Order: sequence, then C-alpha cells, then structure tokens
Amino acid sequence: MNVRQYLHLFMVILCLFAFALGETADVGPTYAIRKAKIVPVSGPVIEKGSLIIRDGLIEAVGPVDKVAIPEDAEVIEAEGLIAYPGLISAHTNLLLEEPTPARTAETPPGPAELIMGGAVQAQAAQTADLMIFKQLKPKKTTLDGFLKVGFTTVLVAPNRGIFQGQSVVVNLNGEKAETMVVKNPLALHINFTTIRGGYPSSLMGTIAYIRQSFLDADHYANAQTLYAKNPKGMKRPEFDPFLETLLPYLRDKKPVVFQCNDLEDIKRALKIIDEFKLKAMLTHANEAWRAAAVLKKMPIPLLVTLDFRPPNGSMYVNQGEDLKKKAETEIYPANAANLVKEGLRFALTTFGLNDGSAALKNIQSAIKAGLPKEEALKALTIQPAQYLGLAQQLGSLEPGKIANVILTKGELFDEKTQVEKVFVDGILWKF
Amino acid sequence: MNKTIRNLLTSAVVLALAPLPVFSSGGNLLIKNGTILTVTKGVIAKGDILVLNGIIRQVGQDIQAPAGVQVIDATGKYVIPGIIDSHTHIALDGTNEGSEAITPEADVGEVVNADDTAILTALSGGVTMVHTMHGSANPIGGPNVVLKMKWGRPSEELIVHEALRTLKFALGENVKQSSRTITVGGPPPRYPQTRMGTNAIIRRELLKAKVYMEEWDRYNKLKASKTPPKNLLPPGKDLRMEVLSDLLRGKMVARCHDYQATEALEFIGLAKEFGFKVQAFEHAWEAYKIAAELAAAKIGISVFADSWAYKMEAAEGIAYDAGYCAKKGVLVSINSDSGERIRRLFNEASKTMKYGGLNETEALSLVTINPAIQLGVDRIVGSLEVGKQADIAIFNEHPMSSYTRCDMTIIDGDVYFDRGQYLKEREEAAKQAQAPKKGGRP
Repeated sequence: MNVRQYLHLFMVILCLFAFALGETADVGPTYAIRKAKIVPVSGPVIEKGSLIIRDGLIEAVGPVDKVAIPEDAEVIEAEGLIAYPGLISAHTNLLLEEPTPARTAETPPGPAELIMGGAVQAQAAQTADLMIFKQLKPKKTTLDGFLKVGFTTVLVAPNRGIFQGQSVVVNLNGEKAETMVVKNPLALHINFTTIRGGYPSSLMGTIAYIRQSFLDADHYANAQTLYAKNPKGMKRPEFDPFLETLLPYLRDKKPVVFQCNDLEDIKRALKIIDEFKLKAMLTHANEAWRAAAVLKKMPIPLLVTLDFRPPNGSMYVNQGEDLKKKAETEIYPANAANLVKEGLRFALTTFGLNDGSAALKNIQSAIKAGLPKEEALKALTIQPAQYLGLAQQLGSLEPGKIANVILTKGELFDEKTQVEKVFVDGILWKF
Repeated sequence: MNKTIRNLLTSAVVLALAPLPVFSSGGNLLIKNGTILTVTKGVIAKGDILVLNGIIRQVGQDIQAPAGVQVIDATGKYVIPGIIDSHTHIALDGTNEGSEAITPEADVGEVVNADDTAILTALSGGVTMVHTMHGSANPIGGPNVVLKMKWGRPSEELIVHEALRTLKFALGENVKQSSRTITVGGPPPRYPQTRMGTNAIIRRELLKAKVYMEEWDRYNKLKASKTPPKNLLPPGKDLRMEVLSDLLRGKMVARCHDYQATEALEFIGLAKEFGFKVQAFEHAWEAYKIAAELAAAKIGISVFADSWAYKMEAAEGIAYDAGYCAKKGVLVSINSDSGERIRRLFNEASKTMKYGGLNETEALSLVTINPAIQLGVDRIVGSLEVGKQADIAIFNEHPMSSYTRCDMTIIDGDVYFDRGQYLKEREEAAKQAQAPKKGGRP
C-alpha cells in the first residue's frame, strides 16, 4: 500500500471510530426488568410485568407476555420486586454548598465593615437574578441518601432573601450539574422572610416590598414597551437588572413559587397572586389544611412539605414542649390527610429535610395520620410532575418517559421495605 | 414551671383550639335581669337586652324571649358595652418596621395573627375590640387596624372595616432612638436623632407626597384630555406615597405617639400646614398642659392611667392627666398598649375616679364609647343602644369596683368568653393531668 492508500484507510478507520465513539457516548444501556409487579401510577397495577429501558427512556411497559425482551438488553429478574416511578421532591435546598454562617454579635466586624462606618452588612433582600443552577455542588453522599429511599428528581431552590432567585429541576443521576438538569430555570422563588440589618426588617415591610417590586416591574414594563414602540423623542427608561428579571414572571406568566410558612402566609400569597395575576405555586404550606376554605375558592398548586415542625410564631411553639411535641407528631403530620379529606390536590416535598431517611420517616408519619398510601405516591410522582410542567417526561411509568424507575422489596413507604434498585435517566445507580 | 400547672395550661390551649365561640347562639340572645350600664342612655336596673342576628334589638325591662332564643341570666350582674382598647399591639406578626424612619407602606393589617393567645386574655377582661397599631420606632410608621376579638375565627373575620383608617406617627425618644447604644460594628445611627429632625423628616415626606399627588393629577388630566400625548406613561405607583396621599386627601387620620406638650403642638402645626386630621395623641403624658388647645382642635388622647415617669420624657406625667383633660372637653380613652394590661382596662379606667374625680359613667366611657368615637365606630359599638352590634361584657360587680371581674364576653351576639365554662375545662384538664397515664410513662 502506498502512502495515499494508507491515508485512505486511516481516514476510514478514523471515521468508523468517531462514529462508534459518538454512538457509545450518547447511548445508555438497555435493561429489561422482568416479572416485576409494576405500579405505573398513571394506570392500573400490572401484577406481573416487564419494563424495558433503552437509552435513558422507558421503551415499553406491560404484562410479561406482551412485552418482548430485546436481545441486547441486560435482563434484571425482578420477581418479588415492585417497580414504581422515581419519586419527585418539588422543593429542596439540596446539593448546595453549606450556607456560610451569618455573623453574630460576638464575631468582630471585618475591616470593610469598619471602613463603612460600622455598618452591619445587610443581607440582600433580592437576588432574583440568581440562577441556583450555578451553585449546584452535587455530592455522592447526599445523592445516595435520597436515592436510597426512592427519590430520583428534585427541584433545587435558592434559600436566601425575599426574592430568592430561580430554581432548577434535576435528576439525581451523578455529580455533573449540566447532565442532571431537567429544566432550568423552573420558577422564581419568593419567601415571606425579613432582612436582618436592612429593609424590610418586618413581615409587613416584606409584604409591602414584594408588592412594590411587582408594581415597579409593571411600571418598568410599561415604560419599555412604550419606548420600544416609539423611541424617537422619548427619554429611554433606565435599565434595571432586578426588574428585568421579574418581567418574564409578571408578563409571560412563568411560575412564581411563594414560600408560605404558616396559615396567614398562604392568604397573603393568594392576595398578591390575585393582584398581579401571577401564575404561582405555594410551597412549605404545612398549615395548608387550615386554609382549606380559601384554597378551595382559589385553587393553586400546593407543594406541601413533609417537615412537620410547626411555624416559629405558632401557639404550639409558645406554649411549652409538650404541646410542641404533640404538634410535631400528631397535628402537622395530618396536614396531607386533611387536604385529601377536603378534596384538595397537592404534591409532597422534602423541603426543610436534609436527608432521605427523615423524608421517608415523615412520609410514614403522614400515612399513619390518615394519608392514603396511593395518595402519598401520587403526591410524590405524577402530581409534582404536572405542577412542574414535566408530566410529559416524568411522574409515571409510561413508554417515552424518562427512565426514572425504582425497584422495591415490599410496598413503597412500608416500614420494612427496601429500595433494591434505582434507575435514573435509565442508568442503574451504584450505591 | 410546675408540671401540673403547665399541663393545665397546655390542656386549656388545646381545648381553646376547638372551634369557638364558646357557644354560638347564631347571634340571638336575651340577657335577663342585669344592671345595664348603657353608658350613653343611663342605667337600667333589672334590665334586659334582646339580641337578634348579632344586633341589639331591644334594651329595657321585662322583654320576653322569642322562641328558640337563648337566655342568659344576669341577675345580680352588670352588663356593659364591650370594652374597646384604643391602642395596643396584640394579634400581629411583628410590630415595627424599624429599619427605616419612614415606612407608611408597612401595614399591620397585612400581618394580623388570629392565633395570638393575647386575644383570649383580652376577652377575659371584657375587651371586644382593639385598635392594634404599628409600633413607635418610626416618625411615620404604618397603617393600623381595628379588630374584633373573635378568637378561633379566621383573621379576615376579625377586621372591622367600618373603622376609620388610621396612620401611626411617632415623636420623641423612641423615634430619635435615645435608648440605643451605638456600638462599633453595630447598625449606624438612623436619621433623625433629634426632635427637630423628627419634625423635619415628617414635613419632608409630606412634601414628597404632595409632589407625588401632583404628578398623578397631571397625568390624569393629560390622559383625560382630547389629544393625550403619544408617549404618555403613568407615573410609577409608590405604596409609601399612596398611604401619605390618602392621609393628605382625608381618607386616613393620624394617630400620633407623643409624650411632650411642645412636640404635640408642633405636630398640630404640621397637620394644619398640610391639612390632615390628627385623631388622637398616644400616651400624651403632658396633654394636661395643652388641654385647651387639644379640645379646640378636636384632637383626642389615648393614655395610661397612672404609670408615668418610666422614662425621661414621661417625667412630667401626672395621674390626673386623663381625668383633667376629660373635664376640659378632650376626648379621652384609656389604653393598654400591652397584651397583659388589656385584661384589666376597667381597673385602669376606674382610677380616673380617684385621680380627676370622674363619675362612674364618665370613667367607663374612657374604655367604651370614647375609644369607639376615636376609632370612628361609635355608630356600631361603644354603648348599649338599639341598632348597635351586640358586643357586650357581663361583670359580677360594678365594672368600676376594685372587686369586679368579667364573667362573660359577647361579640356580635356570640359568646366568646365564659368564665364558668373555662373554669370547668380547667378542672377537667387538671384531673386528666393527675390521672395515671397509660403505658406507665410518668
């Protein structure tokens, strides 16, 4: 062979190699889960079924005799196991770096603060432009904890300030943020909190601040629209990055999530949502049952936390340990059960809980307090998927959906049940 | 705390969480055979009050109960209008927006907390209505709210929409932060730090509000004109300025925290200059020095009875303040400013009989009809008259007696506090607490 021929051959090999590389890099494994009991959530339970996972998606699901096992599939014999869609927690602060501890009165001020005339650095009331995606620091230990109890998808929200920033939905598939993202940004998060060392320092100030911010954004949008139509002879409106961030949420009705820490916060949020015609969801909401009457009048997606600690200002907290304990173990765990009784729909979240086992324990408490098991399952799968606008991809076991699948020994949420296998984006997670 | 007592309290609260009122009469009641202190229409011995649908329908003697109307026997007892607290801070999530000096956008009506157990405390002292206020940390604080003490009802049902809209102002030591120690690394001192600064900043903000109003007027005029400019943009809505505009347009009245006579006079000057109404001065320990001016300007006062000299600017307070001013024609109310004193406002009012020589009815007026007038709700409450809302308290002795106590508190014809019932519940709770627990846990 001459040089030319060598070169030609080399090119061919290179092309083949590149082709093969391209294929293998993007193609996930194929699994056939066989003879499992399958709980698709979106349809009836299949007592003995097979589920095929190919390249990150569910390819087929059905009774064993109806689903052919592909030749290239790795077969997982799952007799005695139950397959569920992976659980979704529609509000967490997971995968973020530990927050830096706030400076207390004892710690001396830094030099910058002294130069600034002794001013305590005020927390920022708004970091609306913060994309929490940029702060994701996935760690295997955290992922393991949640995957072990069946969670495969979480919404990660920012957690500081009033206008906190924008959340992201991720699949718990590894340690690389970019690969994990399902949807970014998902929503703008607002919390009824106060700002230490700055304005607003009171709840009533916070409410005014939220309202004023939306009023400002509305005015800003009017000015921009007017200017865009007819810039000649009009002074251009000053650019404002904060208000600019609010525009899609105010004008294009992207979702806004209000953190409602008690009954009254729910009413406050509903008032603001109505006033500015926002598309919104309520999160935390562990006193949602107390607001059942208003929530029936103005239905809204509820992201109800499994954190059963009563709100700080609650009379349960102020009247001594006995009552506080009673609240945590009996009254607040019944929130979800009461919502079901009232005919209200909701998703359950692990907001405020930092490990998976606590989440599982609290799901069990909610069930013990009267929440039907199938409602619990819906509230952690299809319901959050719908609320997050991801019902096409997540929340049930259906062909074409993302292959987030868990296999359990025993019924999900039961005390002795073990999650045996977890697939995230069609990949078997190794603990 | 003693464990039994704690259990007892705990149980009381748990019981209290049950749907209240204590008993709902559907707003229909007949109170029989009490000594009725109407406050505005004299005293009726062995009198009856008929309440239908929450409204007082008859006040007199020998009224027969219509079928199905519950009868409350008040033999030997005193029936008075529900007590009204003209100045308190209970039932709120937060009192002050203290971060800035001027915060009229911070409305306490947005943070009503119907779970505050101080509501129960108030009921136990015959209080049916409160004016719960923004704190006194700012020269211009925020709007206040008037609430009925309907324990167990959702927060929105507590709000009295008929009341005047009031805006909290404050002068003196609190505002200039004289009790604050400035530390290295601590927050910097906030302007104003003097009384003259306080007056100046209020004037400055009111001037701003005038400019804001003019801006809107100009816009509205242009918009309504036959050929509005192409690039006409409405001014930005500013909640802070909106509230001040409402004050300047007479849609709100000022309630001003004040101790010293001089700054009160200065504030009256500001009100004249800008044309807004001062409804009352709060605390007003030196009101006796300017009683004639207050009476002439039709400005009321809402004060403590006899607890002066707890700080420098209260040094010249006197126990005769309330009584003296009342006699000089100033509209006086006695307030609690506290979630504890609120249950003995009747005691506080009675002190004006000793200090100031008011008679029983005059003294009782200070916590009933007078605060009702100050809050603009005297058409609906504040006295026992036909057509008014049935907010009623029943005392075992004359309410101006030192030996009296409140036995029952009624709002809109529903019983929200019944001493007998509570004592029974307490006894039962104590019994439960002492009974051996199942499972052998101590």
